Amino acid sequence: MIELLIHQWKEKIRSPFWQKSIWLNIVLGILGIYLLLNIVFIAYFADVILKKIFASTDVVETFTRLLFYYFAFDLIFRFLVQQVPTLSIQPYLTLPVKKSKLLHYPLIKSVPDFINLVALLLILPFFVKVICVTETPLFCLAWFITVFSLVATNNFLNFSLKKYFSKRPLFILFLLAIVGLIIYLDKTRVIPFSRYFSRGLFRIAYTQSLVIIPLIIAAISYYLGYSLLKKNAYIEDTQTSQRTNAGSLSFLTRYGEIGNLIRTEIKMILRNKRPKSLLYVSTIFLAYGFIFYQNRNIDNYLILIFVGFFLTSAFGITYGQYSFSWESSYFDSYIANKISPFNYVKSKYLLFAVTSLFCFMITLPYAIISYKIAFINAAMLLYNVGISSIILLLFCTYNTSRIDLGRSQFMNYQGTGFTQFLSVIPVAGFPVIVYLLFKYFDLPQYSIFTLGLLGAVAIVFNKYLLQMVARQFVKRKYKMAVGFRQI
Amino acid sequence: MIKINNLKKAYGKKIVLSIDDLTINALELVGIVGNNGAGKTTMLSLILDLIKPSTGTVQSKDQLVSKTDDWKNYTGSYLNEGFLIPFLTPMEFLEFIGKLHGLNSADIKAFLTENASFYAEDITAKKYIRELSSGNKNKVGILASMLSKPEILILDEPFANLDPSSQSWLKSKLKKMNDDGVTIIISSHDLKHVTDICSRILLIENGIIVKDKNTNAETLDELENYFNVR
Repeated sequence: MIELLIHQWKEKIRSPFWQKSIWLNIVLGILGIYLLLNIVFIAYFADVILKKIFASTDVVETFTRLLFYYFAFDLIFRFLVQQVPTLSIQPYLTLPVKKSKLLHYPLIKSVPDFINLVALLLILPFFVKVICVTETPLFCLAWFITVFSLVATNNFLNFSLKKYFSKRPLFILFLLAIVGLIIYLDKTRVIPFSRYFSRGLFRIAYTQSLVIIPLIIAAISYYLGYSLLKKNAYIEDTQTSQRTNAGSLSFLTRYGEIGNLIRTEIKMILRNKRPKSLLYVSTIFLAYGFIFYQNRNIDNYLILIFVGFFLTSAFGITYGQYSFSWESSYFDSYIANKISPFNYVKSKYLLFAVTSLFCFMITLPYAIISYKIAFINAAMLLYNVGISSIILLLFCTYNTSRIDLGRSQFMNYQGTGFTQFLSVIPVAGFPVIVYLLFKYFDLPQYSIFTLGLLGAVAIVFNKYLLQMVARQFVKRKYKMAVGFRQI
Repeated sequence: MIKINNLKKAYGKKIVLSIDDLTINALELVGIVGNNGAGKTTMLSLILDLIKPSTGTVQSKDQLVSKTDDWKNYTGSYLNEGFLIPFLTPMEFLEFIGKLHGLNSADIKAFLTENASFYAEDITAKKYIRELSSGNKNKVGILASMLSKPEILILDEPFANLDPSSQSWLKSKLKKMNDDGVTIIISSHDLKHVTDICSRILLIENGIIVKDKNTNAETLDELENYFNVR
């Protein structure tokens, strides 16, 4: 058992991504620590915050009540993003290790997870600072055991949920609808679920013998996960054969080699987990307008430019920054076959342009808030299509890390290199510089015309710019291919 | 057809392939044999311009493979799974490759009917390539490499993972293609197959061609002695 965990640790530290880019890992590590410190900070001052916002007299009660919401969202979040480690036991299945023993391993392995760490950091500081000093030790112990049994329940329940529902996209809508309904009923106090929850939890905490209930619930969820794994511990069950929608997108075949390439790329996006989840995530970005387009921002050109930039390139940049890496698992077939580098690069450019146009159209209704938004977004669309796309593609010829298409996008930094950080700086920074320049002369509106005009000029000279990218690609292709071959 | 000049590939200080001078003439059927790690795949990758040589050049029809793309018009190749697109069905993949060479669906259909005895039902079923067995993947790659009616065909261990009947089909197919004017380079660990069909055999050891012989009656014995298979 312990040896298995050691193997897992070795798998982590010996993965080429981890070994190759120590600096990147340091940067990511610092970002992660910063994020976690924020959580600790919020948790530590939770009593103050709760007093301010809810004007509550009993902070322990309010905190407990809010935990109900936390657990509800935690479960949804886990279902959507947490990766269940099932496949990693495959090489051990034929070895003389007891299968029943082996199956505990993925379950245990799921415990040291980022999401569980967040739960711990969110609850523990408050527990130590407030509950421990105000309540009796027995109450504290029972409260603590109950709450963390529920965290564990969510964690293990996710195994079952994933197995039964992840192939059914309607289920997640159903789940969201139920949670929405519960919140509605709770808020309007028709059925105050969260109050029942906190009352129940307090009951357990006061009559300590009842603590057995949450423990049993956690044990059941563990057992469910375990029996599920036991049923599915055969290799063939891990692959479900999908029927394919062949013949779709056939209109693209009329556009020769470029159409052929774009068609394959769209299939790649729709048939693989990671690009598909990125597609979903970027549609969520489109809702950012609701956050930023508020009355107090409507005269702030900088914010409008920035939001316009992100809205019109929501998919283009999040997806495009990994260009070429997406093809890493079959890159050799692209360079050994008869594909002209110019057409290859152009197919990527066109995909960027079309999706940006699409994002622009979807977000056009924001113009109801202010007509300015329509103009600014149109200018940013021109800028993105003309200039961002080219800069991004140039930078992407420095992508050398392989992307495993079948893995989830969340917390997955495979394929991420300094290219991604570096490319966003000029792409997003240029509009800001243009804006500041015109702001200096007190003509901020003109920055929008300028950006739009520059974009339009770049679109006119698009062919030359793409030829430049293609030359750069040819120069870099060996280095890219070497990196992509490393699994 | 193919000229290799002073070709070297080194990773750090370790030289993995070093060929001073090698010419492969049109209509030859060349077999490359050697132990694991001897440099067979490296040599084929260099011919296909997949990796950059440390020094030296590869010419195809007197043009440098690293400078022009013309050779891709008349060269078919399959080295490994990296040549396959995992999320396509075999039919979609063949269509993709076919379109790159300007073939239409009817051409592809005709090609498949012609070679129907090589592949199993799995290949025409609506399954993604990533779900196929290694043998079937290999078949898809080999079919794709032959699809464009190439003048030069380069295959890395084409017999690996194939069932016996497919192996024998492939042998006669290669022989026939060669008779019809295709220059073929294959690598293999199966000495019998190689001596059966190849007109010339290159033996590579530690990145160096140690034997370069036209096949005759004694070649199989010679090779078996070299590899200690008796």
